[in-house]
Amino acid sequence: MIILMVIIAVGVLFFVGLYNTMIGKKNNVNNTFASIDTLLKKRYDLIPNLVSTVQQYMEHERGTLTEITELRAKAISGNVNENQRVGLENKMNKLLGNIMVAVENYPQLKANENFMQLQRSMNEIEEQISAARRAYNATVTDYNNAVEMFPTNTMASVMKLATRNLFEIPEAQRENVDVKKLFNQK
Amino acid sequence: MKTLEELGNYYNTALMPELIKLEEQRKQVLKKVCLVDGIAIALSIAILSLFFDMEVPTHVIFFGGFIAAAVIVGIYKWLTSAYVKNFKSGVIENIIHFIDSHLEYKGDACISSSDFIKSKIFNRQPDRHRGDDYVAGLVGKTRIEFSEIHSEYETRDSKGRSTYQPIFKGLFFIGDFNKHFKGVTVVLPDAVERLFGGFGNFLQKMNASRGQLIRLEDPVFEKEFVVYGDDQVEARYILSTSLMKRIVDFKKKTGKKVFLSFVGSKIYVAIAFAKNLFEPRVFKTLVDFSQVVEYYQDLELVIGLVEDLNLNLRIWTKE
Repeated sequence: MIILMVIIAVGVLFFVGLYNTMIGKKNNVNNTFASIDTLLKKRYDLIPNLVSTVQQYMEHERGTLTEITELRAKAISGNVNENQRVGLENKMNKLLGNIMVAVENYPQLKANENFMQLQRSMNEIEEQISAARRAYNATVTDYNNAVEMFPTNTMASVMKLATRNLFEIPEAQRENVDVKKLFNQK
Repeated sequence: MKTLEELGNYYNTALMPELIKLEEQRKQVLKKVCLVDGIAIALSIAILSLFFDMEVPTHVIFFGGFIAAAVIVGIYKWLTSAYVKNFKSGVIENIIHFIDSHLEYKGDACISSSDFIKSKIFNRQPDRHRGDDYVAGLVGKTRIEFSEIHSEYETRDSKGRSTYQPIFKGLFFIGDFNKHFKGVTVVLPDAVERLFGGFGNFLQKMNASRGQLIRLEDPVFEKEFVVYGDDQVEARYILSTSLMKRIVDFKKKTGKKVFLSFVGSKIYVAIAFAKNLFEPRVFKTLVDFSQVVEYYQDLELVIGLVEDLNLNLRIWTKE
């Protein structure tokens, strides 16, 4: 009788352990995703400032600047789902990249103290976003391993947890890296 | 970085007069050392053998031998101290200025034990902290300081006798990092994972004294180092993919154990050396280019950290 109770107790503890492991990993993934979100919001805060500084100088890029402002408004309105959000982000990355390249044609803007500070802040945010994405990918890999590996996979299927996708670094992001290099050559 | 040819020119023109002057002093010091320490050694042997004949207990003989050795070393240090001092200001300081004229040198100062503790690289508190050859200054936009240090902790055996065990011996570098950050990230040589593979990884995770284990995506870096920190995102913000590669390259270049940490917007780098660095020869000639090249390479290794880790890249909000 005692032996049976011990076996049951060990079994229950084992399942509680598995359950908690899965919950912990799932929450880690959500946490790191939230940190990407925070950083993206931080970038939105910079955009109005950037647009207002840049538009006095950049006459030919008015259209792009208006588009950036509209995208930002759409993204922070909260009426978009996650997929649409990723689309908006990618577009935003590309437009911001274009603006940073176009700066090369405006020497006065390049020398503007305010703009230089903004440019540094933008670089910093980009670097932080990329760090957050890498952190997200690391936690997702850890989580996905748990979902697929024995014995945690049994618990994952009971809890109906599915593997998650890794964040792929979008094409526009890669272009940004080149832009940074361009600035360093000055 | 300067070429070997430039160093050769510098050696033949600026350094040579200093070296010749010091070589004279070295010969005189050597004569004195041979004479005085020779007498001391002869005397010690005579006294100890007398003890032996008188059948004095062995532990007393050992104790006497220990004192004699301490006296002989003391005499050696005392006789060579002026020569060592002249050598440091004449040769080492000049080589440092040859590498970068903005750097300051203090032969008898070192990185303080409080800075050493602040780095959080080593968990143990030092009980004895010594060092010399302190260098500080601005390399490009980056403020750096480094020195040779030798840090130890005290242990006592069952009889209450104390001995000192090493914590770290080598070059210790502190530089202003080019990004702002708040937390602590420590990068240590990875011995455990290489030995035990997956089980090693489990052991690393259990190392609670170090904070969270941070697994990075660069497999070469992961093989060489293990990273602990208090923030997964911040650790990756600091250890960008390019910095990881640069750290691996630097480690290969030194061929030594390299420890790093990032605390309070500063980067700390500890490079372990077994030998005493930047000390003059007493028993061999000083006028030797290969010896100067060795001093130069050891100095360039640390000063070159700024370039090797790209610390002058200031494209973020920290200027």
